[in-house]
Amino acid sequence: MDQSVAIQETLAEGESCTIAVECVSLLNDVRDSKLIGLVRQNKEHALFIYSHRRMAITGEDVTLGQIIPISYDFSVVEVSSPDELAVVGADTRVRVTFLEEELELKLPFGSHTRLFLSEVNRAWSDVCQQYPKEEPKFDWLTKYRKVSKGARSLRKSIGATTVKMSQMKKAERAHTANSSALKKEDESARGDALQSQEKVKGEVKDDLIRNSQPVLSNKAQMLGMPQFGLRDNLIKCELLKNEDAYTYIENYSFFLGTYNVNGQTPKESLSPWLASTASPPDFYLIGFQELDLSKEAFLFNDTPKEPEWMLAVYKGLHPDAKYALVKLVRLVGIMLLFYVKAEHAPHISEVEAETVGTGVMGRMGNKGAVSIRFQFHNSDICVVNSHLAAHTEEFERRNQDFKDICRRIQFRQEDPTLPPLTILKHNIVLWLGDLNYRISDLEVDHVKDLISKKDFETLHTYDQLKRQMDEEVVFVGFTEGEIDFQPTYKYDTGSDQWDTSEKCRVPAWCDRILWRGKSIKQLHYQSHMTLKTSDHKPVSSLLEIGIKVVNEESYKRTFEEIVRQIDRLENDCIPSVSLSEREFHFQDVKFMQHQARTVTVHNDGQVPCQFEFIQKLDEPAYCKPWLTANPAKGFLAQGASVDIDLEVFVNRHTAPELNAGLQQLEDILVLHLERGKDYFISITGSYLPSCFGSSLSALCLLREPIQDMPLESIRELSVKSNSPVIDSADKPQEIPKEIWMMVDHLFRYAKKQEDLFQQPGLRSEFEEIRDCLDTGCLDTLPGSNHSVAEALLLFLDALPEPVIPFSFYQQCLDCCSDSSHCRQIISMLPQCHKNVFNYLTAFLQELLRHSAYNRLDVNVVAPIFAGLLLRSPDKQDINEKRKVKEFFQHFLVQTSSDRDIHEKSPE
Amino acid sequence: MSTRGTGRANGNLPQTKICQFKLVLLGDMAVGKSSLVLRFVKGQFDEFQETTIGAAFLAQSVCLDDTTVKFEIWDTAGQERYHSLAPMYYRGAQAAIVVFDITKPETFERAKAWVKELQRQASPNIVIALAGNKADLADKRLVEYEEAQTYAEDTGLLFMETSAKTAMNVNELFLAIAKKMPKTDTQNPTHAARHRGVNLQDPDAQSTRSCCGN
Repeated sequence: MDQSVAIQETLAEGESCTIAVECVSLLNDVRDSKLIGLVRQNKEHALFIYSHRRMAITGEDVTLGQIIPISYDFSVVEVSSPDELAVVGADTRVRVTFLEEELELKLPFGSHTRLFLSEVNRAWSDVCQQYPKEEPKFDWLTKYRKVSKGARSLRKSIGATTVKMSQMKKAERAHTANSSALKKEDESARGDALQSQEKVKGEVKDDLIRNSQPVLSNKAQMLGMPQFGLRDNLIKCELLKNEDAYTYIENYSFFLGTYNVNGQTPKESLSPWLASTASPPDFYLIGFQELDLSKEAFLFNDTPKEPEWMLAVYKGLHPDAKYALVKLVRLVGIMLLFYVKAEHAPHISEVEAETVGTGVMGRMGNKGAVSIRFQFHNSDICVVNSHLAAHTEEFERRNQDFKDICRRIQFRQEDPTLPPLTILKHNIVLWLGDLNYRISDLEVDHVKDLISKKDFETLHTYDQLKRQMDEEVVFVGFTEGEIDFQPTYKYDTGSDQWDTSEKCRVPAWCDRILWRGKSIKQLHYQSHMTLKTSDHKPVSSLLEIGIKVVNEESYKRTFEEIVRQIDRLENDCIPSVSLSEREFHFQDVKFMQHQARTVTVHNDGQVPCQFEFIQKLDEPAYCKPWLTANPAKGFLAQGASVDIDLEVFVNRHTAPELNAGLQQLEDILVLHLERGKDYFISITGSYLPSCFGSSLSALCLLREPIQDMPLESIRELSVKSNSPVIDSADKPQEIPKEIWMMVDHLFRYAKKQEDLFQQPGLRSEFEEIRDCLDTGCLDTLPGSNHSVAEALLLFLDALPEPVIPFSFYQQCLDCCSDSSHCRQIISMLPQCHKNVFNYLTAFLQELLRHSAYNRLDVNVVAPIFAGLLLRSPDKQDINEKRKVKEFFQHFLVQTSSDRDIHEKSPE
Repeated sequence: MSTRGTGRANGNLPQTKICQFKLVLLGDMAVGKSSLVLRFVKGQFDEFQETTIGAAFLAQSVCLDDTTVKFEIWDTAGQERYHSLAPMYYRGAQAAIVVFDITKPETFERAKAWVKELQRQASPNIVIALAGNKADLADKRLVEYEEAQTYAEDTGLLFMETSAKTAMNVNELFLAIAKKMPKTDTQNPTHAARHRGVNLQDPDAQSTRSCCGN
């Protein structure tokens, strides 16, 4: 059926589709059915390549994919493939080239293809004749180019990667059978090629970049891929979100203390400070500032005062409990000690310490902070001991110090892929230290008067820290308890007397303790006036903190529920499709005749899916060589469907084993969904044996047409034909009757046929001839002389073992120049092979006698038949082809013995 | 101070370590392979389960004490004509459940053949469980429990009688397989070992000093 009508409907006015042909495009071993049309506009031509539904009838059945202008740089070459000898009558394989772009097409056997190629060749010839005077401009293609631009670019990109290989192959294999291929090389053409190459390279880069990124339609689909680690993260997030479901609050007491010791050594017991609580605290977090004011401590970070104060602290802890030191951290004079009741140690983990200096030049350690973080049960706790900038008027500097400390203290996490943890990211933050905020806007006498009256409430309203916190410029989100003790700075060292130096500082609450977090209750907040070692007084706060403790059973329940939800989510995103049918039977499959069925795949799942037919284990392809699924892979949106054509086609490669009963038409296709199910499609077929693809020896034993005989008999004969011992009752015929019928037909009717063996026959007529030979239903062969001639060539091509068996191939090449030696080899062939060879050569000699009419000569006949009768088991290079031809030519020249055979012929 | 609860000894959340294994179901047609999977994964039973023509894939996790075992479950077609495709699914599998129907002795014979094939062609360390399904049809039993139990013990298999219909032993079967799976850390290299509390005996860990800060 001519499908140019469908193409015509897609064209604009003034454009016409001269001829269209269905073909298979070959790209990186992917077969794709295409409809290709030769389109003409005025005097310009182009090839339009369409994807199509089966038997396109209207414009809606075809989709334009690519346009190839027929310009001077265009060419169509008939090529050999690695495993096929170019044979007139087989499917035609051509390579279409335009600039750097190449497309390999397989056109069906038949005169329609010949007509198509001749029209294309004529169009190209017209362009060449006018070159370089007139060059086509192809303005009329612009409107189509937008639509097909994507496909074109992609094809270019792919083509570019194979340019080198293709060019090498081209040099090896190309020969002009239907049209000339070679274009002249000149500067302008070379320039165009270079520009084209540059474009292609750019596109290749883009493709590589795109291809390297995983394309996932949604997050849930990533759950099934362990390499992303998404599943772990999702579980952790959900556990965090549902923390209330499996944790409960348990209260623990934390003793926080801060003491600026002004570089002094311990002189008195610290018990009045540290053991001031009625019951022993669970935790001690003790911070010191100005531990050591010496230059050595500043420059070398070493001080004997660290162990001295550490020992003093240890002695001062509450006597009613055993305590263990978990961590000590110091930066110059800023030190923090972390003690815990021994019984709690097993529940502490992830202990880290960090320091940051905010002193001289914003970095030195005379001011700054030290910090310890840890996890206790299910709560994250961070404790900061800071010494902020001094002097009354520097409150903004102190605010900045606070911000710097929050930003720059970063704890590394156990999981190195996670970013560092900052102070404010913790559930609970405990902040203590000499924060150095002062009382301002009051005269010293007024301050002391308020202190003597114990009017701390009024005095507190002049406190810088309170004011800055009220303005929310510092310690945002933090809480400080009510202050009901007198200012902790500045005293005469060794006394309770306010500073009597000439500076006569205004008293201030420099030493503070604050917290941030839930479930925190302060039990006491006080200074300790009895300690006189320093010009500061120590401060302590006892906090009762609610810690999140894990209930193991609840945790297990929550965890399992989360895992179940994730599994459910993942399973819901597994693709799923339905198939219209799962079993296909192909009835009465014949040699070289297509049969096709369609399976519709419908995406009825909840996600889009990619489908692909996949290889079964230990098989070279997803299906048997006689079977094709098209498309073999694709993408289906939700709710979408695709028709997949299943085609059965038995050719010369697959026919021999089917004829001999060694193979059956049986296969199971596995349709795989990416990250989803596999679906099995069963394919069965009944194959009608054919003389095409049967061996000469087996055919010689057949006395009836092959399809008239039971399959078992054919198989027995195939086995028997390999045996040298033959019973007299089964004496074989000298040559297969099928060969006789074809040659006899040609001898009777075609001796004077012009261009015999050089014109293609019709596919439909070949099918009739094949059926006639296989069933014996007619006395004479149907069809034209050219069709019968082509059938003979196809028969010889389909022999599993050629007329001159593979084992003789090398000998024939070795002695191709010695005529008598060649004849000697032929005399050694198996009997039926020798008979057929002699029969055919006698026939060809007879044809050559009528060269005046049929225009055949040795140079025409030899290449056609030599390659069929003497086939290489492997690839054949040019040199071998020449030798094969030389070998065969000896038998086309008549000798006296040949003349005798001819005279004995009954015709 | 309030009374202390009995919190976890190590004070930390359990490991979220996840091991992922490929598990394949094999057995004669209509023994209930798909029904077992449906019961385990979705908690459902379909009286009119369709014949599996292909291979169905589902994921389901089992939570052990300190590990989550995630099974990638391949439910295969049991019809004889698809037998040649089974290696696609059991090759590389770390676990297999070979299912037979206790009311049909021929399915038990077929299960034995599957076990032999697995032992010959599957991964050497594959964990194989034998499942005698349809235990709810005890009145029609034709394969004695002791016979299958003896065979399983002699062959080194896990064995349970199950009922996808009543959910009897379905979760238990997958749990038993999960417990038997080797759980090497190589499958989850990013999971570092967690601390179990703080080590108070290590003196180096206690003190951190620095001079000029960061």
